Order: sequence, then structure tokens, then C-alpha cells
Amino acid sequence: MKYITTCDNQEFEIEVVDEHHIRMVDKLQQVDFESVSGQPVYSLILDGKSYEAYVYQGEENWLVLLRGRLYSLSVVDEREKRLRAAGGGRVAESGEFLMKAPMPGLVVAVPVLEGEMVEKGQVLVILESMKMQNELKAPRSGKVERVRVKPGESVEQKQTLLTLH
Amino acid sequence: MFKKVLVANRGEIAVRIIRACRELGIQTVGIFSEADRNALHVRYADESYLLGPAPSRESYLRADKILDIAARSGVDAIHPGYGFLAEREDFSAQCADRGFVFIGPKPTSIAAMGDKAEARATVIKAGVPVVPGTEDVGNLTDDDLLSVAPKIGFPLLIKATAGGGGKGMREIKSLDEMPTLLASARREAESAFGDGNVYLEKLVEGARHIEFQVMADSFGNVIHLGERECSIQRRHQKLLEESPSVFMDEELRKKMGDVAVKAAQAVDYLNAGTIEFLVDKERNFYFLEMNTRLQVEHPVTEMVTGVDIVAEQIRIARGRQLSYTQDQIEFKGHAIECRINAEDPFNGFVPSTGRITHSLLPTGPGIRVDSGVYPGFEVTPYYDPMIAKLIVWGETRAQAILRMRRALEEYRIVGVRTNIPFHQTLMDSHRFMGGQFDTRFVEERFSLDDAMESRESHSEIAAILATLAAHQLSERSAHIVRRNERDASNWKWVGRWERMHR
Repeated sequence: MKYITTCDNQEFEIEVVDEHHIRMVDKLQQVDFESVSGQPVYSLILDGKSYEAYVYQGEENWLVLLRGRLYSLSVVDEREKRLRAAGGGRVAESGEFLMKAPMPGLVVAVPVLEGEMVEKGQVLVILESMKMQNELKAPRSGKVERVRVKPGESVEQKQTLLTLH
Repeated sequence: MFKKVLVANRGEIAVRIIRACRELGIQTVGIFSEADRNALHVRYADESYLLGPAPSRESYLRADKILDIAARSGVDAIHPGYGFLAEREDFSAQCADRGFVFIGPKPTSIAAMGDKAEARATVIKAGVPVVPGTEDVGNLTDDDLLSVAPKIGFPLLIKATAGGGGKGMREIKSLDEMPTLLASARREAESAFGDGNVYLEKLVEGARHIEFQVMADSFGNVIHLGERECSIQRRHQKLLEESPSVFMDEELRKKMGDVAVKAAQAVDYLNAGTIEFLVDKERNFYFLEMNTRLQVEHPVTEMVTGVDIVAEQIRIARGRQLSYTQDQIEFKGHAIECRINAEDPFNGFVPSTGRITHSLLPTGPGIRVDSGVYPGFEVTPYYDPMIAKLIVWGETRAQAILRMRRALEEYRIVGVRTNIPFHQTLMDSHRFMGGQFDTRFVEERFSLDDAMESRESHSEIAAILATLAAHQLSERSAHIVRRNERDASNWKWVGRWERMHR
């Protein structure tokens, strides 16, 4: 299987030949790739050179934390790439913005009202987590459409707090 | 000698205190909230008792319940650790009333230093220099503060009277923004300490945060164990501490040490405490506050002096003399501590919670890890994000940095994101290596993204890793899809089927 992997605007064509070989730029390399005790930590021995890294699947990308540096990569196989090229661009973003809790916590205050017009950078929700108060600000100006939480309420990570139109 | 000590805390510091007790042959009593049933301190203590639900105010802040447990389990003394009840004079007083020794200062000293305004007034009287600010502090109204602010001059800081740890603290650049920030400071102080009182202090620019560890016994002996450099902070939270400070020389250490001892004596101090100073570029130093408790960063002092501060705290609480005189305190080598927080440094340092599925601690020469977690432990949003402290010792600062780099790379924690990559980047920063930093360094002159750009890139290796992981994933899911297909030929399958039903 051939993959096109992009990292920092650099494209790599990597062919996974079999369990122990990959081909990059026509060069066959020996790989030994193992997860460390079933964890998202991987040990890679590439032609004798040993590396260890965290490899996570993010929402859109792959994240690799290697020697203190975080890399965000997109990995597509050839077939996918052709499909994407044929399908054209992505769906345009709708005008609605869902403010989600970036972390689990306790809602301290919601200093805005439904129907209120807000400016970019205005504080919409104050969320307390791990003893710190975090001000969640409007990413752009707009109208507060729906407030779904009240002060004193506990929220989960990624729970929608309010919507902005 | 104490036979049994109750440790009124959780996490790594509870483990640290239990360790000291165990070495001294003292039995320990642990306490825990519903969220901490499986915490390390609960497992390490000789006895453990449930306090209540997860939120601190229903568990670790319930002095009444803690004192009942102390009575029931028959302890001689209570060690409060840091945070929670450590700096509450009423708790210290209640311990004494119920006949338990409080391993810490007297209620009067906690009160005198706990109210930041009173502390300033007290140390000024003792001849200790302080940062210019609002002097006559009681319940200052917003109008009072707004009118006095221009006299102190901008930029300035709003600080919570009951404060600590940067909560309720706001930096003010001009009078215009002051009302808004005043309100938010009061709100945060109110929620953190139940006291919305604030005061103003001039912002010392280019300042370093250097603190002195002091120890005082009941015979009137007060000594200091040298300084800790704590300028590496983010949002007023310390991230890294070291001892000694690169900024310090013998003369300044002696001068500041003497002042630190004087400040402790001014409140008739007992047990371990820390005097925090701001030091400007011209080596002027100002008293900031006194922390009347054991500090998070005490291990760096332990590493360079060889003094076991917690054991010494217990000794003082038993009414014994300090084991050391000032002359016997010597500093050897250099120690650095990195606070390992469950935070995502690549995503605005948002707290990260979840179950730790894998953990591999660094070991080897000169390494100490004070951790409160282990694989299988759930990091919850109820408490502080600090899950461990990594401390290294080296003969020189350079060796300590190299050792810290090595240890950070060895450290593996899976299940929550940690700030380890932040520390790794910091260790590679030339300004950090050169000791060229102040308390604004992390926020203003250190960008993780820029540092990432300039780090040696292994993008090709990263690409191979991601590709192989993606490949493995798609192979595995392909496998699942085909799961229902028979892996053997139909004839073999029929044969097996028939044998089964024979």
C-alpha cells in the first residue's frame, strides 16, 4: 500500500511493502515497528536506528510526539487521495459557531445573554477546572443564539456551552 | 516520639510525607475523597479513611471530619502538606485544641503572614524591604483603589489579600482597564478563598522570583537553607525551580538569608517556611510574601543541602532542636525541579484528564521523582493538575540541565497529555541555559511554537511513524470487517462442524 504523508508542508511518499519493509524514494528500508505494551507509544527500528514516540490519531490528523517535538501529519493512501482530488473542496462552514468546553469543569459565570451581540474576544463563559478560572472568549463577533449552561453546572469536555450566530 | 501522624493532604505531597514518617518509624493515617480511593497515598498509608465526595470543600477542606478521623485513629500529630488546610490558622488552632500537634507554625504566625496586608506591615516594622504598594489595607473599595493606583504608578498588580498561587492576581497597565480587571480579580479571589479583598502592588519589571527556605525550632533557633530560583512561571504558577540561583553570589545570599531569618522571627515563626522575594536587575530585593508551610519545590533544597526537610519538620514539631546550625548548612552542586502537569502544552495548556494507561519513570544517577500517580490511576478535574515532580541533581548547573534533558526524554506517561515537551523545549533554550530570564520569560519571550520550529526536525521519521500506525490501523479494521469470513476452506469447515455434532 502506498501512502502520501504530509508533515510541515513536506510530502513523503511511503510504500508499506510488507510487515518489515517500506520503500521511500525508491529506497527499500527495513523497519521494525512495535507498540510498547499495547500503548500509543511506538518503538521504531529503522535500518538499525532506534526511535520511540507517542503516536495518536487526532480528530483530523495524526499526531506524533518525538523527542519533545509535536508533529501534525496527514496520512492518505493513494486511493483516498484520488477520491479527494475528484471530490473537490470541502463543504463551506456554516455561520454557526458552537462553543464547546475545552476541558471538563464547573461553569462559574456566563456573562452574556441569549440574543446579545458580542464582539470578538469578549468573554462568553468562565469555566473553572483544576482550580484555575478559564475565560472562554468569542472567536469572532456575532449574536449569542442559545446558552445551554448555567453557573454552577458541571460540564464534560467538548460539551456545547453556547451557540454563536 | 510521635507514634502516628495523620497526613491531611493528597497526591504526591501526601506520599512524600508518608515516606518521611515511614523512615522515622511513625505510623501514618491517610484521608481521601471519593475520587481518590485508588490514589497512591491511600495505598501507602498504614490506615486510610474516606472523607466525602470529590470536591475539595466536601473532602480535603473539611477540617471537622479530618479532626474526627484524627481522634478516632488516635494520632499524635497532623501534617497539612501544602494547599488545602495548610495555611488556615483556624485549622492549626483546632488541632491544638483537640490535642494534636500541628506540624507547622503557630496559628498566630499563619494569620500574620496569611493576610498579605498585615504581613507587609509586620515585616516593614522589622526592617525588611517590601515592594511599594497600598499600605493602609483593610477593606479597600474599588473607588479607594482606583484613586490610589496612579500614585503607585502603572504597571501594577492587583493581588488577593487572602491570596496565593496567582489566584485573584491581575496585571494592570492603565487606569482604563482597571475597573474590569478589578472585578474579575475580586470574583476569582472570592471563589478561591471566600474573600474578595484585594490590594495593589507596584510591578517590579525584569524581576526574578527568588525564595529562601527557613526552618525555626521552639528554642528560638532560626536558620535558612539557601535560595530557590522560581522565575520560570506561567500565569503566576511556578513550572520549574532550581537551587542555587544563577543570579546569586555568596554576599547576596548572606544578605537575603539574614533578611529571611529576620522576617521569620518577626512573626515568631516555628517549623518550615519560605520567604519569597522579588529581585530586580540591580540586585535590590523586596519581600513578597511568606508561605507558612512546606513548599512544592522543597526537594531542590533537599538535593543541594542534604537536609530532609519533612523529617526536620517532624523533629521540630516534637519539640526537639534543629539538627543543624547555620554554619553546618552547606550547598553542594545544583538541583532542578520540573513540575509535571496534566496539561496540553500544544493546546494553550488546557488541563488534561483521564486514566493513565502507561507510565515509565526516569531513573539512574541523580534522578528523583516525587509522583502521586501510576498506571490505572484516573486524573480527575477536581484537584491541581500537578501529577509529579521530576528533580535532578548535578555537580554543576550544566550537568543538571543535561541530566534533566535525558530524564525528560525517558519519562513516558500515556493517558493524559503532560507538559513534558514544554520542559524539553525549555532545557534547549539558550536563554534558559544562560540563566537569562525573569518572571516574564515564559509568557513573553518563550514561544513553544517558535522553539519547535528551530528544534532539530525529524519530520521524515515522524512521517514513517504516522504512516505505519495508520497502516496498522487500516489493516486491523480490514481484519474486523472480514471477521465473519471463514479462515479455513469450506471442506475443512464442514468437517469440523460435523465432528462437533457427532
